[in-house]
Amino acid sequence: MLRASSQGEGFDANLQAVVQADLDSGTKNSQLLRQLTECTIEMRWDDLAEYREEAVKQLRAQGAVDALAVASGFNGITRVADATGIPIDHYEDELGRQIRQSTGIDAFDYEAKSARYG
Amino acid sequence: MYSNTDLPIRPEMRESHQVVWGQIGKTGSYWSGRDRVSIVHEARASLECALCLQRKDALSPNAVSGDHDSPTDLASPVVDLIHRIRTDPARFTKSVFEDFCSSHSIGQYVELISVVACSVVVDTFHASLGLELPALAEGDATEPRGEEPALVEDAGAWLPLAQHEQSRTDLGFRRVPNILRAMGSVPSAVTLFFTCFRHHYSMMGVPLDLAQSQTEFIASRVSALNQCFY
Repeated sequence: MLRASSQGEGFDANLQAVVQADLDSGTKNSQLLRQLTECTIEMRWDDLAEYREEAVKQLRAQGAVDALAVASGFNGITRVADATGIPIDHYEDELGRQIRQSTGIDAFDYEAKSARYG
Repeated sequence: MYSNTDLPIRPEMRESHQVVWGQIGKTGSYWSGRDRVSIVHEARASLECALCLQRKDALSPNAVSGDHDSPTDLASPVVDLIHRIRTDPARFTKSVFEDFCSSHSIGQYVELISVVACSVVVDTFHASLGLELPALAEGDATEPRGEEPALVEDAGAWLPLAQHEQSRTDLGFRRVPNILRAMGSVPSAVTLFFTCFRHHYSMMGVPLDLAQSQTEFIASRVSALNQCFY
């Protein structure tokens, strides 16, 4: 979805930036969005207060609130996915194939997770 | 809810969260309203639970046994399930699901996951805005009475998924993704969660002051942090 949306906006997002903090995704305000997201999910509320102020300046208040809303929403929906063992949606197009390869999703295996953690 | 902030909370989000918070206190299909409120209290307490903190530090959560710090009278398998999904979703495995469903129904499981996930969304959003977590009413003590069997199918998940044609199509997805079908065994649980979630993502008719790529970057980063491939 990130790659498709970035292409729709005229650039190619670097998907590796999702899992590697030292890379720039190419998305506007990428580093600030990263900090907002990480502080939210890691519950670093004092740090988040500073980034929230910065976000209000850079994204305006509504943009800052919306960014926190997206992070909060996905903090919940990832739990639904993890608790139900749903398989990946295999959209059999070239873009989907590339994304699964570049992010390593193809290597994901619930059974391996079970073998590792019980 | 959200009355003590100057930040612009979208009215539709405020309203949907209020609806969900009220619904949690009402008896559902498989848990009483009182139990559902307890589930939220338990999810909150898990963040300070000594056993959960020890498990987070262990190579495997199952390497550490003991009792959870619990503020409710929910049964211990229920408490354990709530704490695991709230504090360590990345290492949540099929064996946890199977253990729970050896003594409880899939309906109970699905509804519990929906309530916990709603509490995660609402509590995370409050905390991220620097707000106190919202209070909950006591909860309805009426006993749950189940619901009509849903049309589900085996689609490779741990539990049956809603059939494609039964899945909600009013949320703006171009195709029906498995996440929409995941809780299909309990349609009321699907409704509860997606009432809560729908204004958190730029789906059809949901405006956000972010570019789509910014939204997707945040969503992807959350998935990576929670080690959720989905």
